[in-house]
Amino acid sequence: MFSKLEDKFDFSLFVPIIILTGIGLLAIYSSTYNHPTASGNFIKQVYFSFISLGAFFFFYFLPHKSLKLIAGGLYAFSILLLLAVIALGKTVYGAKSWISFGSIGFQPSEFAKVGLIFFLAYWLSYKNRNINNLKDISVALAIGMIPVALIMLEPDLGTAIVFIIITFTMIFWSGLNLFAFFVVASPVVIVFASMFGLGAIIISLGFVLLALYFFKRDIFTSLIIFVFNLASSFFFDYIIRYLKPHQQKRIESFVNPAADPLGSGYNALQAKVAIGSGGLFGKGFLHGSQTQLRFIPEQWTDFIYCVIGEEFGFWGSVITISLFFIVFLRFLNIISSVKDKFSSLVLVGILTLLFTHFSINIGMNIGITPVIGLPLPFLSYGGSSLLVNMSLIGIAMNIYKNRRLYT
Amino acid sequence: MDNSFGSADRRRILYFIIILFFAISIFQLFRMQILEQVAYKEKSTENSIKKIMLKAPRGIFFDRNFQVLVSNKPSYSFEITPANYNRQLNPLIEHVLGVDSNYISKRLSKSTAYSKYIPRLIKRNVDFPFVAWLEENSNKLPGASYVIEMQRDYSFGINGAHIFGYTREINYSQLKRQKNFYSLGDYVGIKGIEKTYENYLRGEKGYKLVIVNSSQRIIGKYENGKGDRAPVKGYDLILTLNSDAQKVAEKSFKHKTGSLVAIEPSTGEVLAFVSSPQYNLAEFASIMDESMIRKIIHDKNKPLFNRGTTSIYPPGSTIKMLAALIGLQEGLITKYSTIDCKGGLQYGNRFFKCHGAHGITNVIKAIEQSCNTYFYKLILDIGLDRWANYVKKFGFGKKTGIDLSEESKGIVPDSKYYDKVYGKGKWSRGNLISLGIGQGELSVTTVQLAQYAALLANFGKTKSPHVVKGYLTQDNQEFIPLKFKDVNIDFKRKYFDIVREGMFKVVNGKGTATGIKLKEYKIAGKTGTSQNPHGKDHALFIAFAPYDNPKIAIAVMVENAGFGSSFAAPIARDVIKAYLDSEKKINNQKLLSEWN
Repeated sequence: MFSKLEDKFDFSLFVPIIILTGIGLLAIYSSTYNHPTASGNFIKQVYFSFISLGAFFFFYFLPHKSLKLIAGGLYAFSILLLLAVIALGKTVYGAKSWISFGSIGFQPSEFAKVGLIFFLAYWLSYKNRNINNLKDISVALAIGMIPVALIMLEPDLGTAIVFIIITFTMIFWSGLNLFAFFVVASPVVIVFASMFGLGAIIISLGFVLLALYFFKRDIFTSLIIFVFNLASSFFFDYIIRYLKPHQQKRIESFVNPAADPLGSGYNALQAKVAIGSGGLFGKGFLHGSQTQLRFIPEQWTDFIYCVIGEEFGFWGSVITISLFFIVFLRFLNIISSVKDKFSSLVLVGILTLLFTHFSINIGMNIGITPVIGLPLPFLSYGGSSLLVNMSLIGIAMNIYKNRRLYT
Repeated sequence: MDNSFGSADRRRILYFIIILFFAISIFQLFRMQILEQVAYKEKSTENSIKKIMLKAPRGIFFDRNFQVLVSNKPSYSFEITPANYNRQLNPLIEHVLGVDSNYISKRLSKSTAYSKYIPRLIKRNVDFPFVAWLEENSNKLPGASYVIEMQRDYSFGINGAHIFGYTREINYSQLKRQKNFYSLGDYVGIKGIEKTYENYLRGEKGYKLVIVNSSQRIIGKYENGKGDRAPVKGYDLILTLNSDAQKVAEKSFKHKTGSLVAIEPSTGEVLAFVSSPQYNLAEFASIMDESMIRKIIHDKNKPLFNRGTTSIYPPGSTIKMLAALIGLQEGLITKYSTIDCKGGLQYGNRFFKCHGAHGITNVIKAIEQSCNTYFYKLILDIGLDRWANYVKKFGFGKKTGIDLSEESKGIVPDSKYYDKVYGKGKWSRGNLISLGIGQGELSVTTVQLAQYAALLANFGKTKSPHVVKGYLTQDNQEFIPLKFKDVNIDFKRKYFDIVREGMFKVVNGKGTATGIKLKEYKIAGKTGTSQNPHGKDHALFIAFAPYDNPKIAIAVMVENAGFGSSFAAPIARDVIKAYLDSEKKINNQKLLSEWN
């Protein structure tokens, strides 16, 4: 009986997720404890958790076939929502990324991630699709870049990065040959490298040259690719003028944290102090001085991880990361057991989404990646994000349940 | 590499990326939390950087001629940070501060919901000896501190309580709604232009970075203040008031109850505004004690109540010009048509009295001598709904939109209104007759009357009344005007000429206010008496001057004073004279300086 249930319900994925959500609630409670304006956030997040659990079961029990049917609609609807947010969204911290329905605020870009994953999976898994064909790769890139362009207009740099990485990973998964992958992905890498100044551009262009040498294509092709990469390195300088001041600052402060000690550099520094001072066992629940003294504004959103690091120490931080690790490995296992391409692509998309959020968020908390405003899945305060992530886990487990189907 | 869909090679790459990141993170955590923990711990417990928000001074107020009305001055405020404070110090500090016992615990208990690390404001405007005492004994008084704050300075000879309004510490629900801008202890405007123009006045906060030790004591600047940002003062507002006229207006109301609004007819700019009794702004602004605030709130004379914009009363005979204009516009009367006033009008079984028998009376004489009979007959011809429709066009029965925080609409009764109040068919045209002379249910505010006077003065053209003209930019002090709504009445100019002539004769002919006639300025006006069922009648007067080229229109209401010409009219005359004198003087100075 039990083994039968286990066959249908993947406990080794579900249990870590529930524990992570619980850890998130504890950290939110601590970071908003006695806070003048945010002390109600804990209770709100408890409500969100239950609503999200409902969404999880809804998607878990959804007929497997319907997943494919809703793909096109989801995507079209998300594009509409993104357009709407630009037209009539609410500005929070210099960026428009919220739509409100009455008193409920909602971030369409969260929803659009699901739309992108589903539609791209649907399109890439269509029969006779050949990703190494110029037409097919162009359409696949277009599907990914339309929402990216709209999100850049909001502008929300972090979310745009997530969309780009999801698109590339899913294309990669479809079997794009390495050379083609190099051609489409290298300019994007160059653009990011160019944020760190001339040195980084020269080094990454060096890698491009090295790669071109190993691919051993004809000199003409190689030259075109190199020139294209070179041009991309100017792209960032051009685009930064269109970014909002708070985003320019974020990028600047990652490149040079001392330049803006009170902007994101200040947050990054305080986050490191919080986590580092936690030591092996932490300062204890509600006893983190950095957290309780509110050195980091809005810590319950993007910097929730340093509450854990400070109050629960090294073991708490490692357990949290390990739970994510289990989740990601579970995803890869399920992926290897599913039979149909669509489900496989959806799972890769969800995995990429969660992993990108996870790595960028943890990275900025422990000071190894730039401060890009992305929430930590299942832990950061926020209804839209938790609802979407739990729904995605519901979908993943739905696919697990039906993994032997071949459609 | 295998180029097939989802190949094992590709899965291996994903594995590799995930494991690599996991390994790097664990290594970094190990380095931070185990190897370098001591260094970080030191940073967190001994040397922490703290961001201290610096409040921005509010913008200040100038009058129309750039004379200062309200400014800022630095003052000491006493604060306590509950986390470090010992409550046993209460009696000692209360004694030195000179306040009642329990004062401090009362103040502290008001804000227990907030983090105990945020300092609480205990008393504003403490004197220097107290600050010196705090400094000397700082090591014996943990958690007690002072800050220098900018406070309003009202020492420029004008009180203007109901114009300027005041600020108060932001309350919890406001704070929650606007947490992006405000924080605990911030002051926000809650009355008058302090409220209306809050977004202009508040400026931008600054901050400084300091290094604090584990007990939150500041031990120095962070990076020598390189990252600090100075606060930006709010925009200075240019008001429409004329200081000289305002001073005279406030003085005239010293021991009277009522209100006064003077407007520049062509622009809607408020030149003087009084609601009396007033409260002393300087005193009110520094009060922290709830019981004293409550005393002012419950004062039976209601000094907090803005009588100029919120108290409503029947306009009395001041409304007669409006009926005359409607009659002329609708062709019911002409300049020459007359009636015979025999001391009143018999209507059904009621007799409506006039004060005296005016005999053969045309419209000009009817205004000049305030003949009731003429207007009883006229309003019967106009009819209730047609009349109400026009009265509303002149701005009665709705808010004028004046930029002070509170305003009443007043009442303009029409048949719908009477049906609601008395029931269908239970009221008669008798109700209408009293409306003809501005009594009965018709209720107006002083600001509406002033706007009406401006419309009469300027032939039906003005702008919605306002007390702020514009603001000065922070960087180069450039004046940016604000825009206000047009108010237009498209009656023929010759009809306005007729009623204006009547108003001119009120003061300069054989009218009801000949006592206020001035040699140097031709005033046109109209008296009124507002019947008050609760006590003595209110005295009213509306006027404009100079008659040929009006620069000021005014409405004055004195509560429980009786007949308009003896109480309200002289006040109007004094303010008119003060304003026109003042503008003349300023123009002369301008000419002189240009000539030089």
